[in-house]
Amino acid sequence: MSTTPAALKELRDAYDDRPAAIRRRRAAGAPVVGCVGADVPVELVTAAGALPVRLAGDPARDRAAADRYLGTGLDPAARSILAGLLSGEPELDLLLISNDCAASLRLFYTVRELRRLGVEPSLPRTHLVDVLHLPHRTTTRYNRVRLAETKELLERWSGRRIGESELAKAVRQHDEARRRILALRRLRTADRPALRGEDALVAIGAGAVLTPEEHAALLDRLMLADAGLPRYDGPRLYLTGSAHDGPEVYRAIEAAGYLIVADDHDWGDALAGPLVGEPTLDALAERYQYRAPTAARSSVRVRADQTAATVERSHPDLLVCYVRDRDEAPAWDFPAQRRAAGVPAVILEHRRYGELGEDALPIIADALRTARQNGETG
Amino acid sequence: MARRNKLLASSIEATRYQREWFAGLREAVAGGAPLALVNADAPQEIFRAMGIPYVVNQWWASVVAAKRRTGEYLRTLRENGYPDYSEQYSATSLASVFAEIPDPPWNGLPRPTIVLGDTTGDASRKVFDIWDEQDGIAYYPLESAAADTVPVNWWELMPDQWETVIGTARLDLMVAELEGLVRFLETTTGRVFRESRFREVMALINEQEEWNRRTRDLIARTRPVPLRVDDSISSVMVPQWHRGTVWARDAARRFHDEVAARVAAGEAACPGERLRLMWIGRGLWYDMDFYRYFEERHGAVFVWSMYLAIAADGYIRHGDDPMRALAARFAAFSDQLYRPPWSNEWYLKEARLHQVDGVVHLVGEDARSGWFITETLERAGIPVFELRVDNVDQRAYDLTTVRAAVDDWLTDRVAGRASKKPSPHTPSAP
Repeated sequence: MSTTPAALKELRDAYDDRPAAIRRRRAAGAPVVGCVGADVPVELVTAAGALPVRLAGDPARDRAAADRYLGTGLDPAARSILAGLLSGEPELDLLLISNDCAASLRLFYTVRELRRLGVEPSLPRTHLVDVLHLPHRTTTRYNRVRLAETKELLERWSGRRIGESELAKAVRQHDEARRRILALRRLRTADRPALRGEDALVAIGAGAVLTPEEHAALLDRLMLADAGLPRYDGPRLYLTGSAHDGPEVYRAIEAAGYLIVADDHDWGDALAGPLVGEPTLDALAERYQYRAPTAARSSVRVRADQTAATVERSHPDLLVCYVRDRDEAPAWDFPAQRRAAGVPAVILEHRRYGELGEDALPIIADALRTARQNGETG
Repeated sequence: MARRNKLLASSIEATRYQREWFAGLREAVAGGAPLALVNADAPQEIFRAMGIPYVVNQWWASVVAAKRRTGEYLRTLRENGYPDYSEQYSATSLASVFAEIPDPPWNGLPRPTIVLGDTTGDASRKVFDIWDEQDGIAYYPLESAAADTVPVNWWELMPDQWETVIGTARLDLMVAELEGLVRFLETTTGRVFRESRFREVMALINEQEEWNRRTRDLIARTRPVPLRVDDSISSVMVPQWHRGTVWARDAARRFHDEVAARVAAGEAACPGERLRLMWIGRGLWYDMDFYRYFEERHGAVFVWSMYLAIAADGYIRHGDDPMRALAARFAAFSDQLYRPPWSNEWYLKEARLHQVDGVVHLVGEDARSGWFITETLERAGIPVFELRVDNVDQRAYDLTTVRAAVDDWLTDRVAGRASKKPSPHTPSAP
């Protein structure tokens, strides 16, 4: 049995206790900007001299305080983020919320109104970053305006001008981290993967609380250790559907002997692409507008194309669509994804946050058995 | 359920007109005319100006729900692999593209060639994506932008100062979206967009909504109320879906005049009116008797729903540039109804204007900022009953339990409070 490589252990430590990583950063005197959603332009935050930390929910966290304000009809991951904010964990100097999904936008309206009414005075100063995603030039033009406003906001807040050199450095640092996330694919999609899905999720997600330089360095070390990493065997699954801001579902699937060789949500593989490239607001606007598709923002057709491409490069035996309760968009994608995948597919609906559900493993096993009988798996 | 007699001639006329229009529409589509299916909060004015027939998606869902047939359509969606628990209000119509149910309401929904909706919500745009997958149907998606900061009192500012209220970035984007829509429709339908016709449409709509504003104000200040909310829905909403026509403008005026005549004659919806209630949320289409069930026992009459009120406050946009004014109507339309601080502060303003004693607040699964609405009203001393059901999907609706709970709430929270208030205003002439 192989030991866990040191780099993966360090990534896991950061990932497993993300609030602790943020506390350490603040204790060292660095301002911390909480980011909700993957559409906050972290480059601008970094260029303003602050650490962008992406906030995650936690299925184990008591959501009652947040449910009071948001109701229970909203994705529990967003409700959990608000529960964390209401409890003051983590402490933030500023909160930027993106419009990356309906739940994030609802969270923004809720925090803004709670602050206006003075109901929860401990909530941090909060602003919206309204980046939109229809594939049109007019949308890019709008995003460009919003990013310029965010830049000005960060300059006023930090007292630091974000000049060309600061932006260029930040873009380069974040692109380097993204480049390495993209390179991780090779390890998890190999014939005998060196990374399980949960390992990849942790390695990618640790970047939520690390500087891009730290993250890139740890990913480098992990990939350099490739030859010494264990190799995994098992039925190969492509996990699509809701985003996973924690490892619980991956862990439950892989503990049963399956390997998640691909996913397509923005806490996982879809976080990385594309790179920004040019250090300009125009390039940033285009990067966030056209970043990798997700269930919340992308059309059914785009998601189906993404599914086909992901199957092509990861060779799964089964497509598993996980639909979290109150996160319904993936269920609308699924019929087209199934048609596009060219491999057997199952859907797991009404899943509780952070849980696979008792019926899931039998459903997966049945689908794989049927596929084998029909000669549909490799 | 026994059908109620309609109280208003304007309502009877609106229903007659709608049936005649729908029959004509079916004929036109059978003859090869394009047909658009558009969301309720989408800029139908463009279609009106270009003479492209359209059906409002949520109107159709309300027709189906009123006939209690929604479940059959949702079952069709499920049978075709789609969720039956998501976006039921917007998705009812989609089922028709797969298979029409037996003996459908109004002989069923004709197949559209164009569908229009914005990208608000993760799942709602997917419903339109599925339409887009069908042969001969194209979806034109509209961006849905949001603002970091907004002034609270939108209802005072919107008619003339919409640029300030909504912000230049959102308006620039929506104007670009609308310009694109016009080109898309010109290209796909061969119909022509004439600026002169568009100006007429926009002017007619402002006139229509000004009539609605007068009617709203009249109802708000008159005790006992001359009509209850379910009396007025057809009189308001059928013309709303036909806005931009002379018929719709005149229908709004006839509705106003009819209400004014009732007020002048001292006619009351509930002569023994003791409690004035507000209904917040979409209409409870499958149980319209709900709106008058509490009159006999409590003298409790529903005096307010969003349908007339949003017509009064939510549509009027003046300005020399009609396309930008139209963008201002829809760039933030749902913010007015659903997003704090606009929604909660507006509902409070309307509650006070209408002198309501209590509010029944429909909080569906998709509780859009419901806490703030309830909290704002309760803080102002207005009791709120939160009714947690879906407005079209009645599968989880228990009529007896719901009515008993509202009954108890009226007794325990509303009646006692109302009796301590100063004596009501006397009826006032228009």
